[in-house]
Amino acid sequence: MTKYLVATALGLCLASTAQAEGKLNLYVWSESISPDLIEKFSEEHDVDVSVDGYTSNEDLLTKLQAGASGYDISTPSQHFLRIMIDEGLIEDYDANKLEAYENIDERWRNQWWDETQEYSIPIAYGTAGFAVNTESYDGPLDSLEYFFEPGEELTGKIAMLSYPDEVIGAAQLYLGVPFCSENPDEMKKVLDLLMAQKPDVAVYSSDNIDSRLGSGEVAAHFWWDGEELKARTNGAPLAYAMPKEGLVGWIDSMVIPKGAPNRDNAIEFIEFMSTPENATEQMNFYAHSSPMKLIQEDVVYTKEKAPELYPEVPVEFSRTCSPQAQDLVTRVWTQLLQ
Amino acid sequence: MSDIAHHDPVLPSVAAEPSRGGIWRNLAVWGLLPSWLLMGFALLVPIIIIAAVSFATRGAYGGFDWGFNLAGYRQILFNEGWTGELEFTPQYMVIILRTLLLAGTTTLLCLLMAVPVAYYIANQPRHLKTILVYLVTLPFWISMILRIYAWMIILGRHGPMPRLLELFGAPGGLSFMYNDGATLAAMVYTYMPLMVLPVFASIEKLDGTLIEAAHDLYGNRWITLRRVILPLTAPGIAAGAILVFVPALGAVLEPTLMGGGKQMMMGSLIQLQFGGGRNWPFGAAIAMTLLIFVTIVLILIARRAAMREVTT
Repeated sequence: MTKYLVATALGLCLASTAQAEGKLNLYVWSESISPDLIEKFSEEHDVDVSVDGYTSNEDLLTKLQAGASGYDISTPSQHFLRIMIDEGLIEDYDANKLEAYENIDERWRNQWWDETQEYSIPIAYGTAGFAVNTESYDGPLDSLEYFFEPGEELTGKIAMLSYPDEVIGAAQLYLGVPFCSENPDEMKKVLDLLMAQKPDVAVYSSDNIDSRLGSGEVAAHFWWDGEELKARTNGAPLAYAMPKEGLVGWIDSMVIPKGAPNRDNAIEFIEFMSTPENATEQMNFYAHSSPMKLIQEDVVYTKEKAPELYPEVPVEFSRTCSPQAQDLVTRVWTQLLQ
Repeated sequence: MSDIAHHDPVLPSVAAEPSRGGIWRNLAVWGLLPSWLLMGFALLVPIIIIAAVSFATRGAYGGFDWGFNLAGYRQILFNEGWTGELEFTPQYMVIILRTLLLAGTTTLLCLLMAVPVAYYIANQPRHLKTILVYLVTLPFWISMILRIYAWMIILGRHGPMPRLLELFGAPGGLSFMYNDGATLAAMVYTYMPLMVLPVFASIEKLDGTLIEAAHDLYGNRWITLRRVILPLTAPGIAAGAILVFVPALGAVLEPTLMGGGKQMMMGSLIQLQFGGGRNWPFGAAIAMTLLIFVTIVLILIARRAAMREVTT
């Protein structure tokens, strides 16, 4: 019996030494990181990488606030990144001293969400707006009016996200109400608009969007540019609306949650993802724009092939709302779905 | 018959052999310790934490600070209106009532469908019975979210259900998704086995001679069902109702995926408070209110069952 135990113990030790040197736990937007790149990193650096996904910034924030997540890297959007810095939820890893910093396209450096660029290296940016199934809807796409105050063709065939975040932003763009408004009268207008739209909305959901829109279950869906682009490239009959009122912008950055168990590997990974070669491969996988310096001739989604990624209408980035403004957003959402 | 089932099997032997009582008692205490610890940590501690959070002060961007604050509970009934004054806001009560209604309807439909199924299974030969019970539990082997997605395909545009109806002359391109009916269909489907099994267990134990006796005493089928079968199977029905009602109160997937998420249920309301609403104490307060509701219902059912046992 003892012999067996010793053998098993030895076996376990050997097995673990034979395993990868270290670990790296990613908690990122679902299916946002190229699996090929993860495998390449894993081999080059002898690191076991595990990937968990989320589908909303809120999920990420809640998890980090609950403490000790055990994750080494996350990719919050700009308005949540700001909260995470202010609330002390992520590490200062001297991002501006890394090679990755030099690889950031100049116009995306040191923005309001991380002025000193010590906490984050961006990985992708894009917009949120309406995508349509061109077999079910062939009307105009140049205004938010067709979606917030739809005519016959879209009645009962619109789908919105299940979270207020970007949906309220788009409604504010349409009404000319500033993001993060603390004025109840203005927000009441947003509620009235969404309430009037509700009878024409089939579903409020952030999951399974591609099949819902691709199959024609709904004709228009609030969505993200890159997801629409990827589905369209794969043959789905889709189009992305470029409304004159503007699109809601976002930019995701790689951060290291406080107390990350594998900080060194995390920094290695951030450097790895940020080389022009790998950033290009990542963009070709994710189909969202990259804020990094790229190898231009290898970029698949060029302006000709992917007009979604090169909007000529104004793009307004979501901002970090004050608690008062956020309460108004929640109130609008609760009353909308009460 | 039911007497034995309701007693701790250890106790009679303690009474019969007092000399061994010490050992048995020790075993009863120490042997159960692991499960007590598990129950304590896995069940009580989280509830206590949620209760404490419901009295905490909310953090500006989510999270909370420990303290004693009734704001979370006040918010269930009173909120600042659009004019900035504190006013009565029935919206959360509406959500709570809607959730209770949905859970209640689900329970009722499950019951109506489960009793005949259970009765049928209970009256089959032994080997067939085993197979049928196994079939009832079969859906549990597949992830719930997958089964819901299957329902979305069945009821969705161009799915099997609209296609089938087209054969009978229904117009093309119909969709049965994103309404209360779709929600209810998925709920009943999901929770039905939890009702069938306990009802089956109590029908199986039913003494057939009692039904014969009822007929001999000129009881017609209805009277036999109401005065003999239902009272004798009441414990199973009560157990099934609890097993269906309680998880149905917290259902999030069915209302959001099947119903289209157009009307909030308690589950999604709580989720919103811990997520986008960034108001953890309020979310915890709603969860505690739900817990209190459920506990009251359970106590009422248990007391009724106990009284019934005394009278029979």
